[in-house]
Amino acid sequence: MSGCSGGSCSTCSDGDPDRLPPGMLREYDLNQSTSEGILVWIEMSDGIEEASAELIAESKREGDGRVFGVVFGGPELKSYYPEIFGYGVDTLYHVRGLPVYSPEEYAEALAEVVERVNPATVLMGATPRGRELAPRLAAILQTGLTADCTSLSFEGRDVTMTRPALTGNVMADITCDRYPQMATVRRGTFEKPEPSEGTGTAIYWQYTKPVKREILSETKSVETDTDIRDAKVLIALGGGIRDVSLIEIAEKVASEHGGMVCCSRAIVDRGWMPRSRQVGMSGITVKPDIYIAFGISGSVQHRAGMADAKRVVAVNTDPDAPIHRFADLSILCDVGAVLKAMLKNG
Amino acid sequence: MRFVVAIKQVPDTENMAMNDDGTVDRTGVRPVMDPYSEYALRRILESKRDGDTVSVVTMGPPQAESVLRRCVALGADSACLLSDPAFAGADVWATARVLASYMQKFECGYDCMVFGRMSSDGETGQLPFEVAGLLDVEQHAYVTDLRRDGDSMISVQDYGDVVRECSVGAGAVIAFAGVDPNGTFMDVPGFLASLESNIVTKNRVDLGLGLYSVGSKGSPTSIRRIGTVGSTRRNRKVLIKDPRRAADLVLGELEAME
Repeated sequence: MSGCSGGSCSTCSDGDPDRLPPGMLREYDLNQSTSEGILVWIEMSDGIEEASAELIAESKREGDGRVFGVVFGGPELKSYYPEIFGYGVDTLYHVRGLPVYSPEEYAEALAEVVERVNPATVLMGATPRGRELAPRLAAILQTGLTADCTSLSFEGRDVTMTRPALTGNVMADITCDRYPQMATVRRGTFEKPEPSEGTGTAIYWQYTKPVKREILSETKSVETDTDIRDAKVLIALGGGIRDVSLIEIAEKVASEHGGMVCCSRAIVDRGWMPRSRQVGMSGITVKPDIYIAFGISGSVQHRAGMADAKRVVAVNTDPDAPIHRFADLSILCDVGAVLKAMLKNG
Repeated sequence: MRFVVAIKQVPDTENMAMNDDGTVDRTGVRPVMDPYSEYALRRILESKRDGDTVSVVTMGPPQAESVLRRCVALGADSACLLSDPAFAGADVWATARVLASYMQKFECGYDCMVFGRMSSDGETGQLPFEVAGLLDVEQHAYVTDLRRDGDSMISVQDYGDVVRECSVGAGAVIAFAGVDPNGTFMDVPGFLASLESNIVTKNRVDLGLGLYSVGSKGSPTSIRRIGTVGSTRRNRKVLIKDPRRAADLVLGELEAME
């Protein structure tokens, strides 16, 4: 029997009718998704948005497979390439042709790239733009989206997303049965990576359709407020604050101790403080050395923003408020009186 | 102009229960209108002119009708309830599909679909934009102001770092930012009119959706595990009558940090 090496021909199959040529399987599962890797939308605002940088670094550390980045902008972005690769992106798609942010076209361009790359996971920072862009992209890709995750755990290409569930004081682990799995994650959830220089592949992606939306004017808000994320001492005010004048007192107390004042959603909804000061699910995540909560009941949404504070002191008249379970020290006393007394002491 | 306002009803948090799978058990719980939705509805009703119509729509159990009646009492012209046992347990995607097919089937030629900023229970705020994506229309997020400019509209969006003004295209989805902390009271004639108003109900078959497109069966995401938020802090609770002493205690904590 010369000339036959595999044993697949009828002369040398040893009478086994099922004997297959080498490398061939008896059954092929063709319905399996071939999605692999993680794609991160890199948001640019005077540099790389921190939430995006954190996501890239976390994907590189914990994730399975390649890390793809998508960035929108003109040739001026080229100077950011080393930094983007340094955080851990393997392949960068640089989408040209969309000079201004427009959620409709951004989502379409992202969907084009996702179709090409076929990632198992698509991640975005839960920034104002990310929160608006991610659902639109999910609708185009017909997949599920978990917003505002507080942690991600990767298992192979599958990811389990954790976020506070509904009104209950519970965290839910959520999985998605379609690919790509999508999640938005807020800034501060993962460790901030140190900028370093790296190399990788950059691919230009030209988006050719015109922007439909007509933008009449655009004004930059002047940010005079310093970031509450940087404060080591935070005095937090909640719905238990009945008097607007107490905010001013709290500001004075905070400045005496080199801290800042933040608040829960109740105060923002009343219009007493700007949204940039709101801690919690729909606000900002903070990690101060000490967090003094005045009149905060401690809903799970609020706790999602302050759970990592080193020390928590709660002042509240309600002995049953959930915040007490998450405070090192609880003081059951009138909130306004304590604030005023603290000021005099200073 | 024809406005459609999507209303979210939330379970009265005072008395609600969770199902074993982590979704909210809405049976027997009287739903109340979400304050963010109410704010959006009020903003639209304020800007309403002669000839405009405002209709409201919600997806929910049959009890949600009371919420729609409240919308009519506040000034909405018509109301529609999307209700079907199969809708239960829907995630954002499955909810968006129901709303999008309602818009396509029953609200053809509408000018503007309006949402609140987010719902006060889920706090995700994704629904408006998934619906916009499914309808393939413009989306305007974080809208602080919606102005009429002749026959068209201009939205003012606050992205935090940038405030932009855009013209609103036909069929756009608007998501308002903000809430009215004081709430609204309906007047007596409005309340009486709402009792007689006819709330239309549409179910899954009316919307032409398959059983596996809606509810928990049509949801790509599912809750695997529910865990209570653990705490590693050893709480010390002290009841102090004298604010002076309480203040000293807090200041002591502050000094210990420094």
